[in-house]
Amino acid sequence: MSPKEYKLIFAGSMGAGKTTAIAAISEIAPVRTDVENTDRANHQKATTTAAMDYGEVTLPGGDKLRLYGTPGQTRFDFMWKILGNGALGVIILVDNSRPDPLADLRGYLQAFHEIAQDSRAVIGIGRGESHPSPTLDAFHALTREIGICAPILSVDVRRREDVLLLLDILFNQMEAAELIDRPGSGARPQ
Amino acid sequence: MNAPLVLNSIDTDLCQQQIDALIEARPEVRGVLVSTIDGFEVAARMRGKSSPAKLAAMTSSLLALGEAVSDEGEVGRCLDIVIDASAGRVLLMDIPHATRKLLLTVLSDNASTLGQVLWAVRNCRQEIGRLLVG
Repeated sequence: MSPKEYKLIFAGSMGAGKTTAIAAISEIAPVRTDVENTDRANHQKATTTAAMDYGEVTLPGGDKLRLYGTPGQTRFDFMWKILGNGALGVIILVDNSRPDPLADLRGYLQAFHEIAQDSRAVIGIGRGESHPSPTLDAFHALTREIGICAPILSVDVRRREDVLLLLDILFNQMEAAELIDRPGSGARPQ
Repeated sequence: MNAPLVLNSIDTDLCQQQIDALIEARPEVRGVLVSTIDGFEVAARMRGKSSPAKLAAMTSSLLALGEAVSDEGEVGRCLDIVIDASAGRVLLMDIPHATRKLLLTVLSDNASTLGQVLWAVRNCRQEIGRLLVG
């Protein structure tokens, strides 16, 4: 069987680590669209993603993951729709040092609702060591309230193994959901 | 969210004057916008219902993609993007300036040739870049 290609989306607020996560695991030099950030009152980052990031990972069986990172700010939400089209799954990264991380997560779950409600989402909480509140329990309570079934874990996306763990859990989640829907089938790329 | 103050009022007024001058001189031009490189509106004038705030974000994305494509294609820096649509054109370009990274978006109908519009728009772009105090 010829190798398959899977499109995955990295979403989340500005500074949550989408560009860093893709760079941590991509086997090609990532495509970046960073520009100067003029909105220093809201975020101190020198640059921000204006369109997308792109990276690739080849799995041991030859299947390829195409990784797309979205711009974080809501003014770029037209790119979320464009990039989300045809995506197999979404990795939502939350920056726990931001003023209202729960509201951030709620917004991205709504934006990628079609994917998330289909159990094709995983949530990574960053900067939890320095900013322990909200707790993982609070994020779990939010996803239950919205009616989304998505694994939530604390991550440092600068670490390649943390990003790979997010992908592994995402595929486990999709596989489990598919087995429940259609016993005998599986979503995991071989 | 309000746009950050990246230009002082003198420079913002200067952008607005250049925008108004272009629209008044060229009847085929339906809208002009100056925005920041990361997608915030600085000054604009639209004859139709187009949203300057949305166009500012889209211009930022498109020119950033243009830069990435030019880089991948090894063709140097992205200077302009021209969108030829069924009922008009959209011209996207950066404004040359030593310290301020601003973008120019121009909407036009099909009444003039692309060359005529580009010539008028590039003059406007150069004038803004030359006059900005910065």
